[in-house]
Amino acid sequence: MRNVKKVLAATAAVATLVSIAACGSGSDGNSSANKGDADKAELVFWGWDSGNSMKDIIAGFEKANPGITVKFNNTGTAEKTSTALSNAIAAGNGAPDVVMLEDPTVTQFAVTDGLVDLSEYGADKLADDFAAGPWNKLQYNGKPYALPIDSGPEMFFYNKAVFDKAGVDGESIKTWDDYYEAAKKIRATGSYITNLAGTSNDYQPFTAQVWQAGAQPWKVDGEKITINMTKDEGMQRYIKFVQKLIDEDLVDTKTPNWSDDWNRELNDGTIASLTIGAWMPINLMTGAPDQAGNWRVAQLPQWEEGQEVSAEDGGSALAVVKLSKNQAAAYKFIEYMTHGDGAQTMADTGTFPSLKKILQSDSFTDPTTEANKKTNDYFGGQNVNEVLSAAAQRPTEKFQYLPYNPYAQTAYGDEVSKAYSGDITLEQALENYGKKLAEQGEQQGYTVTLK
Amino acid sequence: MSQTVGVSPEMAGLHTPEARINKHKADWRGWKFMWPFAVVFVFVFIIPIVYAIYISFFKKQMIGGTKFVGLENYTRLFVDQQFWSSVGRVALFTVVQVPIMLFLAAAMALALDSMKLHGTKFFRISTFLPYAVPAVVSTMIWGFVYGAKYGLVGSFNDFFGTNIDVLKPSVLLAAIGNINTWEFTGYNMLIFYSSLSTIPHSLYEAASIDGASEWQIVKKIKLPELRGSLAITVIFSIIGSFQLFNEPSILQNMVPGNAITTYYTPNMYAYNLSFTGNQSNYAAALAITMAVITMAIAYAVQLKSMKEQMK
Amino acid sequence: MSSATMASGRMTEAELRAQEKAARKAEKERQKRIAADEKAERKRAEKSGFANVNNPRRSALMTVICAIFAVYCLFPFVYLAINATKTQADFTSTFGLGFGKTFALWDNIVTVFTYQDGIFGRWFINTILYVLVGAGGATLLAIMGGYALAKFRFPGRKLVFAVIIGAISVPGIALAVPQFLLFAKLNLTNTPWAMIIPSLVSTFGLYLMWIFSDQAVPDELLEAARVDGAGEFRTFFQISLPLLAPGIVTTALFTIVATWNNYFLPLIMLKDSNWYPLTIGLNQWKDQASTAGGQAIQNLVITGSLITIIPLVIAFLCLQKYWQSGLAAGAVKE
Repeated sequence: MRNVKKVLAATAAVATLVSIAACGSGSDGNSSANKGDADKAELVFWGWDSGNSMKDIIAGFEKANPGITVKFNNTGTAEKTSTALSNAIAAGNGAPDVVMLEDPTVTQFAVTDGLVDLSEYGADKLADDFAAGPWNKLQYNGKPYALPIDSGPEMFFYNKAVFDKAGVDGESIKTWDDYYEAAKKIRATGSYITNLAGTSNDYQPFTAQVWQAGAQPWKVDGEKITINMTKDEGMQRYIKFVQKLIDEDLVDTKTPNWSDDWNRELNDGTIASLTIGAWMPINLMTGAPDQAGNWRVAQLPQWEEGQEVSAEDGGSALAVVKLSKNQAAAYKFIEYMTHGDGAQTMADTGTFPSLKKILQSDSFTDPTTEANKKTNDYFGGQNVNEVLSAAAQRPTEKFQYLPYNPYAQTAYGDEVSKAYSGDITLEQALENYGKKLAEQGEQQGYTVTLK
Repeated sequence: MSQTVGVSPEMAGLHTPEARINKHKADWRGWKFMWPFAVVFVFVFIIPIVYAIYISFFKKQMIGGTKFVGLENYTRLFVDQQFWSSVGRVALFTVVQVPIMLFLAAAMALALDSMKLHGTKFFRISTFLPYAVPAVVSTMIWGFVYGAKYGLVGSFNDFFGTNIDVLKPSVLLAAIGNINTWEFTGYNMLIFYSSLSTIPHSLYEAASIDGASEWQIVKKIKLPELRGSLAITVIFSIIGSFQLFNEPSILQNMVPGNAITTYYTPNMYAYNLSFTGNQSNYAAALAITMAVITMAIAYAVQLKSMKEQMK
Repeated sequence: MSSATMASGRMTEAELRAQEKAARKAEKERQKRIAADEKAERKRAEKSGFANVNNPRRSALMTVICAIFAVYCLFPFVYLAINATKTQADFTSTFGLGFGKTFALWDNIVTVFTYQDGIFGRWFINTILYVLVGAGGATLLAIMGGYALAKFRFPGRKLVFAVIIGAISVPGIALAVPQFLLFAKLNLTNTPWAMIIPSLVSTFGLYLMWIFSDQAVPDELLEAARVDGAGEFRTFFQISLPLLAPGIVTTALFTIVATWNNYFLPLIMLKDSNWYPLTIGLNQWKDQASTAGGQAIQNLVITGSLITIIPLVIAFLCLQKYWQSGLAAGAVKE
């Protein structure tokens, strides 16, 4: 009797397992069968909402499309959202129709066939309407897999009060050499020009900076990946510069971005400037309220005098999930959010737009609107959006993210932080980092060349 | 699981427990009470574990899909330095933190049970209260306290002109140990305390009539009683500290630099492999290996004495 | 259920039963008397300040040592309470254990309950639902299972313990993916069930009830009831359950805390913020400060944390009485 039971239990367990295993691989159905009715659907939308404006935008969309309802689930952070999406795709069940992703993770889902190629719906024709930086990041095999909702051109934010004390004019910092000279003067007053700790939260600013330096630390070509972390010319330029800042104690290497200490140091002037995405004003306003009126924003310093090279830091996008049964309606929604009326509403409530039409519009830089006025007051009366808009329209080099970007981000923290704690040089750290990226690439079945 | 009660009428006449519990034939009555727990347990634990074992023999790649690889994940794990360094770290943590915490818990339980304290109730509740705080919140609070610049440690440094940094890599593990000790001393204290209070009062009386001193009562009566609950607290504490995850991962962003790597503990390593590394098969192999290691240690340390207790 | 039919075969059934009944009654009475004696003694001892007959003095030294420990245990609560009175601006700029420039506790509380259309209240209700059903169910299953393990020698009994210890040794993090897949397959993710079903298992509760049943329910009593013809369930509910009450309170305490503070599983299982428990909700608010373009609302996170803890603290204080009565009952064991 006992044996019978054991056999029965084992059989049941195996049966369940097989069914679980089977469902894991059932995601490659014919996508055109899942287009659904473009005018009638109940959409589920995963994303994070920083400005609490999502509700209004969805209401606007539902009004314009009476047959479609959208249920927004706030999934917390970018990282949690992409984790949840990969879980749902693995389960073949419970995935949303529309998902918000950080730009660099889009390729990963495109490679693994989790997202719909939006050129099926004509999204490829929208290329010229968006700023080049965010648009370029969302292409895989030359096809758009997501549409940008915002963008994050890298900017130079500085605390004028601290700069004045050190006798530095922030406006005159045009090159990274100027930046270095300023860093020395600011350090003499006890503050740091900025913080660099090499944690995973510093990964995006890192990619933005090497991007701007014209570096190509990795190259993806189909199933082939080339990793060149230290021998690349642009990388060398970057490494030498940052190593100098570390060696001469010109940057705060102890405080990671987004930590509470970071906010406090921004708030008390210990950190005098940041090179970070254009979405930063709202974070500064709430994170460093005591410095109201002191912060300013300027264009990113350049490697060569007279250049106008920009780079992207952060930014997010909307994509249609392949498991969705309502793909046509889902596309309608993301088109509305990123390219249609929703984009304007988002821009009005503080999202930094990627749509050229909005970036160039008068109302975007109009200092009399309520939102702009609030921001400009914090920045001592500067017309912030004017500066940001100029940056967004600067040319950017093409930059590719690795198809396993989330891994690249966490491994960055593990390896590169050692350079900032002084254990090894930045060059060594980046070399180790390159090795790890190569290993991961091989684990994932890529053919990797490590230089 | 029907009741197969094989007690014959003749035997029933004996009316003793021994007669009721038939030694030769299976007595399924217990399952009447056991099955609800068992069903949920199988659903929530056993099936996922079997599945984890199953997938640990496969490998899923972005290019090439899923394929059977036999023991490859395990052999890779065997030479994975990051994994062994994380195991070493939690082992060290266990060896130091668990005894300290259990000593504090036992001492507190004995103190409360001695009735020699003013305000026993207050102390009992205050020791137990930290257990009510979610790990997210307690780690956040301690993180603020630890801050060498803005935390209480920072204020201490400013005041005394010292330069203490409890979050520097060399003492970080101790700082995490402190959070765990704070969270779980009360929990263990309560277990010890309940077991002390099962000692019949008459025993103390008899002992004191025999002229036993207080210390002798502690040594001869109370400590032996604690030994039983010690087994279970040790096992649960070992399992708990081998699975260290919440505290270091929440603290990660509060610690200067990147002292807490993504492979700081085996659990964090498994999490990162699974959720950011797209290597859930390898993570499953890691989890199974950790389970084996944990069980082996728990068994070596205490399981034997516990089994005796369970008869 | 089966014992009724068994006894009916005897000729002297009526006499036997009467005899049994009397014996059982006597035994019950005796147990009761012992319990009452113990209880009275404990009470007396405690009132007069001496637990043990031979230690008539309370120790100031020991009290001081314990007081130091109590400060260690309590000061994070003080920190939380103080910081809940601060505005976001004060929080980033003022000393941790000192008050801010403005006393914003009430503002913070109101904001916590109105922020994002009052979603915090929803999370609060969810958590209570999960605790009632999840922890309540976990306690019930633990009682029944523990009772079975202590009072029956059923096939597989010895395995149960090994299997449980083995199963909880597997890092929960790694089980999250298979658990998620299983629940997703059954369409249970994003529903309260995803939170409740896993909460139903409390291995520690099972262990506690095992030990407790072993000690608190005398075999003789069960035998007597069976001889009386009571079915297993009737015996369980009428005789065992009341004896187990103090152990149940302790087990409930542990399962309530475990469910209330559960973090990792709902994080994976729930993506609909309408079903979040408090821990996930709070963490989502905390994350907002580190989202590009997000607003830092640490004041709400801190105040929300305080509000999250308060019900548990109250529950502890209320249940305190019962732990104490649990002690007396435990003392029946000889």
